[in-house]
Amino acid sequence: MRTLLRFNFLKSRALIFGVLGFHAFVALLAPYLRLSSTDSQDSAALLQGPSLNHWLGTDSLGRDAFSRLLHGGRPSLVIAFAATAISCLIGIVIGSLAALAGGWIDDALSRVIDFMLALPTLILLLLISSFFGQDPFILSVALGLMYASPIARVARSATQTLLARDFIRVARLQGGSRISILFGEVLPNVWRVMFTEVAMQFTWILLAFSSLSFLGLGASPPTPEWGLMIAESRSYMTLNPLLVISPIMMLASLVLAIQALVDHE
Amino acid sequence: MKNLARRVVFSLATFIALAIVSFVGVDALPGDGCTALLGRFGTNAKIEACRQENNLNDSVVVRLKDWSGDLVSGDLGYSIKRDEQVSKIIMPRLRNTAVMAAVAALIAFPSAIVVGLLLGRYPRKRISKAVNQFSVIAMTLPEFVIATVLWLVLSIWIPIFPGVSVMPSNATVLQLLPNVWLPALTLAVVIFAHSMRTMRASVTNVQNMPFVESARLRGTNERKMIKRHIVPAALPPVVNVVALDGAWLLTGTFVTEAAFNFQGLGRLAIDAISDRDTALILPIILFGLAVYLVSSILADSLVRVFDPRLRSSNR
Amino acid sequence: MITTLTQSHILGFSNVTVRIKNEARDSRPILEAIDLQLERGETLGIVGGSGSGKSTLLRLAAGVLAPGLVLDQGEVTTVGKNLLVATPTERGNIYGSVVALVAQSIGESLTPHLTVLSHFRDTVSDDVVDERVLESLAEVGLGGEKYLHRYPHQLSGGERQRVLLALALVRSPQLLLLDEPTSALDVSIGSEVLTTIDRLQRSRGFALVCVSHDLGVVSQISKRIAVMNLGRIVELGQTSQVLRSPSHEYTKSLVSSIPKLDQRIRESSSQNNETVLVCRGLGIVRGQTTRAIDSLDLEIKQGEVVGVIGESGSGKSSLLSAICGLVSVTDGSLHDGEGYDLSTAVQMRPREVLSSIQMVFQNPDDSLNPMRTVAQSLSRYTHATNSEISSALLSVGLGEQFLMRRPREMSGGEKQRAAIARALLAEPRLLLLDEVTSALDVTVQAAVMKTLADLQRKLNIAMIIVSHDIALIASFVDRILVLRHGQLVEQGSVDEVINSPQDSYTQNLINISARRAAI
Repeated sequence: MRTLLRFNFLKSRALIFGVLGFHAFVALLAPYLRLSSTDSQDSAALLQGPSLNHWLGTDSLGRDAFSRLLHGGRPSLVIAFAATAISCLIGIVIGSLAALAGGWIDDALSRVIDFMLALPTLILLLLISSFFGQDPFILSVALGLMYASPIARVARSATQTLLARDFIRVARLQGGSRISILFGEVLPNVWRVMFTEVAMQFTWILLAFSSLSFLGLGASPPTPEWGLMIAESRSYMTLNPLLVISPIMMLASLVLAIQALVDHE
Repeated sequence: MKNLARRVVFSLATFIALAIVSFVGVDALPGDGCTALLGRFGTNAKIEACRQENNLNDSVVVRLKDWSGDLVSGDLGYSIKRDEQVSKIIMPRLRNTAVMAAVAALIAFPSAIVVGLLLGRYPRKRISKAVNQFSVIAMTLPEFVIATVLWLVLSIWIPIFPGVSVMPSNATVLQLLPNVWLPALTLAVVIFAHSMRTMRASVTNVQNMPFVESARLRGTNERKMIKRHIVPAALPPVVNVVALDGAWLLTGTFVTEAAFNFQGLGRLAIDAISDRDTALILPIILFGLAVYLVSSILADSLVRVFDPRLRSSNR
Repeated sequence: MITTLTQSHILGFSNVTVRIKNEARDSRPILEAIDLQLERGETLGIVGGSGSGKSTLLRLAAGVLAPGLVLDQGEVTTVGKNLLVATPTERGNIYGSVVALVAQSIGESLTPHLTVLSHFRDTVSDDVVDERVLESLAEVGLGGEKYLHRYPHQLSGGERQRVLLALALVRSPQLLLLDEPTSALDVSIGSEVLTTIDRLQRSRGFALVCVSHDLGVVSQISKRIAVMNLGRIVELGQTSQVLRSPSHEYTKSLVSSIPKLDQRIRESSSQNNETVLVCRGLGIVRGQTTRAIDSLDLEIKQGEVVGVIGESGSGKSSLLSAICGLVSVTDGSLHDGEGYDLSTAVQMRPREVLSSIQMVFQNPDDSLNPMRTVAQSLSRYTHATNSEISSALLSVGLGEQFLMRRPREMSGGEKQRAAIARALLAEPRLLLLDEVTSALDVTVQAAVMKTLADLQRKLNIAMIIVSHDIALIASFVDRILVLRHGQLVEQGSVDEVINSPQDSYTQNLINISARRAAI
């Protein structure tokens, strides 16, 4: 027990990669595992406890909770990957361009970044989702655009630090063009500094989308999604607490593993 | 001082620019107050009449002018859907959210600063490591998970607090209080983790600075060391985080309020969005903006108090 | 060896070995078998290169051991106590009143949000009277009440170091430990600080241990010297004796590596009349209004080596940056030998002009892209072939094995050599060297300068070398320029400037340098 208490679960490499591997496996292969259907409803078996047929029981519509659980990470992961890619692309390009160009271009772009940072993100997402429908494509783009500003800010300052370094000056003295210096010297080094930021960003976007789903404006029913599943089953918490606890465990283990990985680097 | 004035002017300009962008943006959304009121069953003629009545057929520019004029004179507008002045709808909700935010802030901020200092000071103690791990978990998990876990534990397993707020939106503060605890606790966990970790990181960072060792090697005693050397140097980043978290407590609590059905501003925003009551959404967005801008100005001015390098003119 | 400590010993190291925690036993320790005693009132200088363990030794004397290091064996006794095992309270009682340490990074050693007076209140007591503080400040050469209410960022480097000294001495400790007291200061200011330390030591009679990479610094204020290399004390003796007749190989190379005013390491090469650079009435403004360079006239011939000397803020680096186009010229003219106007920014210059002027920068850690191998860094913009790179590396003394190394696997000297090789691959006619050796150990500096001298003779390229060290400049160049606050205060051949300096500032620099070499 003592050793268990002393075990620092956030620092164990094996555990971190184990959990991440598990999530990757489940998210990629869930459709190919021989699971019960995620939306076939069994009106004779609502809110049942765990059984051999339904390992985690059934939800309020009689759907298999275990199957839904394993599928429940896919929508958020897909959207988080897409939105992170968009936000990184836009953020890093804008941030490094601002630092590289300097002068009024830098001023103007910095203002835009400040503007974006001042926007109330969640309420805008709710608006977009409510008025344009809960479309994964639109939501990815919206999330990507909104989360580009913090990335841009970090990229800008990372680039600025980098530009003051002597090897960049030497590259200019030896005739390197702006583009070749940007791609050859600046971006690879900026990217190295940015890894942490990007990983954190991925978690935030993932959680933002889950929160939207929880509020009923992210993934649309009957899609299995952890945030949505938690919202749907909260009222039946006394009847089958596993319906709530299991998606919480999945979501928590995923984001904690990413966070631990970031801290580890 | 000059810097601060410039900062205020710039923030005001940002506010005006974003207010215009928001107005035009919200206006461009499909639907308006009349479609919201009459819903999908409203006939074209009825909707048209409603629009006539409420001057919704004027051009964007004209309505923007009217709206901004009203705003400057303190009139937040009128919700056709709810048939009420916007300020009358918002004020009680804002009060509820403010009470919840105040409770959360009082629980979280002072303890976060003290605990952060202790953890930074004594990082090797087992309890420090445990608190630290707890804070990583609390910071990483989304609010709705924390809300659900607190509900499960403190309302269902150990029934101390009511799980769902049962109160009219204009309840008195006393009626409000029992319902405030769970949402406030949820928010407190989030901001505690956030500001505590900032304080801890800042203290750790300051402790490794040469001036701390230099003071220690001059024989400065522990009490003075913490009070005069470490804490003032460690606070600036924490002030920023506290300001941002404070702004978030007032304007970003949609998920927590929804989770507990708490009749605050966040809940109202979600309702307004699902009703497509644009007249109500717009002031809520602007309020969020204003709080964010004011709090970052406040944080900047406070940081100046701690750092003479930012105060002096001959930099 | 067993050392007996008598009452008169104020500091004793007996057979002290310090290792990195959890490292294999056979790896080299940070400190190895250190035996050292210091009597009351005695002065000791410790000199050594980077990684010699000298700072670890000094901090150990104050009972401080960096996390990650362990005392493997031996004992350290400071004023009769083992501070390593003392409680924080016991140490607090000793620091400041019995032992005081002034650490190296003087820029950050004062608490930024406290005034000078507050520092004294924390060190002495809250009710310290202003007179006592004023007296203490006056003793270190800071007269006047104006200093009392200043914040650290309102003080110059020299003033900060003096405040730190006053704080260390205000409670009259018996042992003062100094870590690189002058390394962050300009030569003339550092020399004044050393004079102050020496005066205070003589009048108050505290024991002093001073650590520095600069033999000149320690010899100025200490009667005995310990020379450290790779964690060991390789030589210990009276200052004059160690300097005059060093016995250990390392000490010998250390002493011979110090640049001397009257010793040339490079012969003047044949110069023809081809000009490589002409500037007339050159002015450079940095920032809003700061004049970095003011109406400078300069002409450089092919194969000529010009040394520029000046302290920080003299404009010497701005001059080099302007020549290579990184900083814009405000007024006057700047042309290369073919008459091409060099007031154009670097990105506007044609390729031939660009490669004809190359620069090597001060900081070796900064001059190579950390993510690339040496071969990649050297070929990326010069488009040199592998064999060209190999021969360029060879000419700066680096073998084939460096082609595939990354910067983190190289020492400072090696990185700087690679940076020189990269500049040479562009086949410049003018090479600008900005304090290229100031971050290197003295012995490494001597080797790099030797390489540069060989290259210059072989390739007959013109060079401008900038440095704060007048002896280094004098030993290497044909002509010296002295810059002060952006003004050219003196110029002439090495002999003219060194033997009959016209300007008092140059005179002062030469005196400091000569005094150091003489001890």
